[in-house]
Amino acid sequence: MRAPLKRKLFRQFLLPAGLLTVAAMASLAVFFPGTGAGASGHADASQVSTNAKAVLKACGSVNTKGVSPIPNTGNPFTSTNLICHSGGLISYGNDSITYANPPASYVAAGRQLFAQTCSSCHGNEANGVGPGGQATIGPNLQGVGAATVDFWVSSGRMPATDVKAVEAERKPSRLTPKQALELAAFVNSLDPAVPAVPYPHLQGANQSVGASLFSLNCAACHTITGAGDALAFGTNAPSLQNRAVTPQQVAEAIRIGPANMPRFSGNLSDAQVRDIVSYVTGRLQHPTNPGGFGLGGVGPVAEGFVALLIGVGGLALVCFWIGERS
Amino acid sequence: MTDTAARTKRSTKQAMGPYGQVGKIIDELDDRLGVAKGGRVFLDKIFPDHWSFMLGEIALYSFVVLIATGIFLSLYFVPSASQVLYHGAYAPLRGQRVSEAYQSTVNISFSVRGGLLIRQMHHWAADIFIGSIIVHMARIFFTGAFRKPRELNWTIGILMLVLAVLEGFIGYSLPDDLISGTGLRIGYSIAESQPFIGSYFVSFFWGGQFPGDGSIIPRFFIIHVLIIPLVLLGLITAHLILLVRQKHTQFAGEGRTEHNVVGSPMFPTFMAKTTGFLFMVTGVTALLGAFAQINPIWQFGSYEPSKISYAVQPDWYMGMLDGALRIMPSWEFTGDGHTVPLEVFLPAVLFPMLLINLWLLYPGLERRFTGDYAMHNLLDRPRDRPKRTAAGVVMFTFMFTLFAASSTDVLANFFHVSLNETLWFFRFAIFVIPAIAGLVTYQLCKEMQGVHGIGKRKRAVIVRRSVEGEYSTVPSAPRLDDERVEIDPEPVPDRIDIEPLENGNERQPEPSPTGMRQVTR
Amino acid sequence: MSDAADHQPSRTRVPIPVAALSDPHMGDAARHPKRVENIIAVVFVVAMIFFGLAGAAYWQNWNVWTFGGALGGGLFALGFGLTAWGKYLMPQGPFVEERHVLASAPDERDSMSAALVERTAVVVRRRKVLGGLFAAGAGIFGIVAAFPLIRSLGPVPGDELDVNQWKAGSVLVDSNGRPVRRDTLVIGGIMTVYPRSQMRVEDGQVTFTDQGLATDQTVLVRVSNEPFTTVPGRENWTPDGYVAYSKVCTHLGCPVGLYEQDLELLVCPCHQSMFNVRNGAVPQFGPAPRPLPQLPLGYNDQGYLIATASYDQPLGPGFFERTTT
Repeated sequence: MRAPLKRKLFRQFLLPAGLLTVAAMASLAVFFPGTGAGASGHADASQVSTNAKAVLKACGSVNTKGVSPIPNTGNPFTSTNLICHSGGLISYGNDSITYANPPASYVAAGRQLFAQTCSSCHGNEANGVGPGGQATIGPNLQGVGAATVDFWVSSGRMPATDVKAVEAERKPSRLTPKQALELAAFVNSLDPAVPAVPYPHLQGANQSVGASLFSLNCAACHTITGAGDALAFGTNAPSLQNRAVTPQQVAEAIRIGPANMPRFSGNLSDAQVRDIVSYVTGRLQHPTNPGGFGLGGVGPVAEGFVALLIGVGGLALVCFWIGERS
Repeated sequence: MTDTAARTKRSTKQAMGPYGQVGKIIDELDDRLGVAKGGRVFLDKIFPDHWSFMLGEIALYSFVVLIATGIFLSLYFVPSASQVLYHGAYAPLRGQRVSEAYQSTVNISFSVRGGLLIRQMHHWAADIFIGSIIVHMARIFFTGAFRKPRELNWTIGILMLVLAVLEGFIGYSLPDDLISGTGLRIGYSIAESQPFIGSYFVSFFWGGQFPGDGSIIPRFFIIHVLIIPLVLLGLITAHLILLVRQKHTQFAGEGRTEHNVVGSPMFPTFMAKTTGFLFMVTGVTALLGAFAQINPIWQFGSYEPSKISYAVQPDWYMGMLDGALRIMPSWEFTGDGHTVPLEVFLPAVLFPMLLINLWLLYPGLERRFTGDYAMHNLLDRPRDRPKRTAAGVVMFTFMFTLFAASSTDVLANFFHVSLNETLWFFRFAIFVIPAIAGLVTYQLCKEMQGVHGIGKRKRAVIVRRSVEGEYSTVPSAPRLDDERVEIDPEPVPDRIDIEPLENGNERQPEPSPTGMRQVTR
Repeated sequence: MSDAADHQPSRTRVPIPVAALSDPHMGDAARHPKRVENIIAVVFVVAMIFFGLAGAAYWQNWNVWTFGGALGGGLFALGFGLTAWGKYLMPQGPFVEERHVLASAPDERDSMSAALVERTAVVVRRRKVLGGLFAAGAGIFGIVAAFPLIRSLGPVPGDELDVNQWKAGSVLVDSNGRPVRRDTLVIGGIMTVYPRSQMRVEDGQVTFTDQGLATDQTVLVRVSNEPFTTVPGRENWTPDGYVAYSKVCTHLGCPVGLYEQDLELLVCPCHQSMFNVRNGAVPQFGPAPRPLPQLPLGYNDQGYLIATASYDQPLGPGFFERTTT
């Protein structure tokens, strides 16, 4: 009885789903060469994993500001595994995260896009200087690195809708992921810097380590369930339960520290960042909730309301029915 | 002695008397315990029918659920703070160092069959228990049911509320997860803030400086599963004995006086209703336990003193304390080589103590102010006692404002306002909102007293226009249920026929000794 | 055969008052019970089916929703049916019961009071010394009994509330036991550090003593690339813009793990006290009464960040014996 059901399930659901996934991933790789599959292609082509200093020297044109020569646990400022291609730093990283800059061919499109959507606030050269020489509303973006630009644009925070807001809020992005990378390529070309866009490899991630690190480093703001909450003076920690948050964005946020978020560099290795990313996008966004509806993961406040309204209130209605005369 | 062999079935039946096996059992019991006299009175005990008299039963029956589910949980829970490596069913915890208490709670949730349901039922029942106690006490307060001769039962009720809140907090702390561990850390600091005895108190109870020598979990366990439940059980027994001895209060109405109780008899009507209600309370708890996830400790991880989550609210009944702590300004007294953290001691120790004492003393205070020392078995309508009603509303809005202040961050996030402004709002609101609510209540009660027929259903008015164009109004015909038969109460009869007679006729009604009359609502 | 039956050899049913079906004290539904009976019967059958489902769910270990839903549904249905039975098919009343007078008669009261007062007078007043000795004995027992009950629970607090394990030269290590170097954090970074002396390795994992985790926990923040002075008198406490504060909130001891890098604020996640990291963590908002104590930092000859001295005051929330600093 069971075996045929399983086989049927497999034939009717799992197989097509698997095929669809493979097809989707293949098309992603074709249309968005910046995503994981594309980056690992570079890695195969010209992987150099020897002395960091030598590689950096060979990749002469890259800005190595902040890149430490000391081999460490692996983070964007201390990576030893650098891939250079035609004189420029293309990607670096390790088994856990590959950091890659968008291809140079994106810069032209990015320049055009920047002029249309970003320059009114950040200046034409993304340096925070307006046409009259005065400071613009937005800050100087030169030297922030590709990951920063990609994070702000791909999460929909930029272009901002309300420039007076304390913090830009996440919203559906007006630009496509590719356009975000084009902007990143353009801004990074003005003053190249690290970190490049991180591509975490979640296969080997240890969610248990991620959970433990999350509660030490992240839960203080985002709450232990990732629900997010209001912080000081109108700022807030956004929800991580939002399934639109991609692994790449989580990794970017950890490394660049957008807005009020602290910047985690040497104290979290790439492997640890990957574990956290896997826990966030795997568990927090997809809680199993074996005990029923999760009630938003905001804890006793929601539970108290349910207990009082449904529990006590519902039972009081029953009392009303019992006491009412027929 | 008759010959046993000669006993026929019939003779046995005759020997048993006219009421058969039941009669025989009663005979035997009565010989030894004398149950028949009091028993009959007990069967006839009258329970008022008003729905608000059932609210206390929610509390009683959720306590039954708590005991039953608690026994189940205690069979699996390990009250130990020693650290172990987790290798259980929940993957994101595997390999983490957790305390045994935490591990066993996660195992109850994932490895014990039915364990998660029982755990969630236990927690929901605790929330409902305290909620229904408060709703029940609100009914007692606003209707004046605490007045002489029932002050003692009011006192018992307050004590049970305090114990229930304490029991809830301790039980919430037992799993040793990140959220409850933080709560315990706060509890430690509150206890430490007491002048003179604070640091001794915490050092004795925790077995050293926080987190102590690991004895807090086993100590909490025995308090949670034995000591407080035992005291609660004793108080509940006293509560019910007093209730039976003093009999119920009742609202004024047809045939209801200070000297009688009108309603349904204990047996069979009330017995059926209340047993059914026990099942329904259990059912609602089980449904909540099945469909609404509560306290998912596996997401929180084991407690470690340097880990923290934002938005760590305690369970809702501790919210008032947390709210008071949040909005309190930072007034620390230092001097003479000593420190008194008033910003903790005032809101978290002194304030609750004063509040509990105020509640305990309230019946006496009201007697003093009104000069009303008489016995009261008939209840007040809240509107007829505007001052008491206003005082109760002030207390409730005060507590509710404190409760809301404990979720400043959630409110700020929800309404997209600054956290700091929210907190400042509550610092004023804690005084302004209760004052406004009290004044409005007082005025509303006064107004309602002056309006005739308020609370009654309105009779429709028909507006007619004559051919000359003149308007006139006439009351519409009464609706079907505007008028009903109000029956005079009568003593409970022994036999209540619910079967038609064998010849198909209904039994002729015996004339009611008091009669009945038509009344209009 | 019982005694009572012996005394009453000819027991018959006693003539009793009867409430008939047509009595006004019976509800309408009770007089025409067919429909209600059917509904209640259906409800009971539903309860049975639910309970059967719950049993199957337990046996097969189906998920909580099925098991609990069936159990709860069955219990609710059973209770609903029984209550409806009581509400519709049983006599509703109103029935009346007279209250008996609780109070005793005045002479009964007086005799009780008299017995208490007079007997006490005879027994006690003439034996004052005995009474005093008995009271003293009971009192001494009470005091002695308090020792095993209270004193044995834990140690008398010594100076452990005042001390911490940070010493001059303590190496800062993170939760994985890695020491901190100049380039570990960039501006806007935060991490939790402990003194290396409190580090242990158990089960192949780095962990710390309870004391290290609960009391010595410290937040390390990198505010800038240059040293700065938080408070006059604390020059050279912040090499390369690193600044360290006790992670134990001065309000109620929660870990102050929330850092907002643009605002340069440490926020306590429990009650939202806010501390500015540039000015010595003076509370800027919220209920915390005192600044977070600051740990003076420096480097050792291996290039690791170390504490150059211990904290200059007790850590965490206030307590009575805390001397003013």
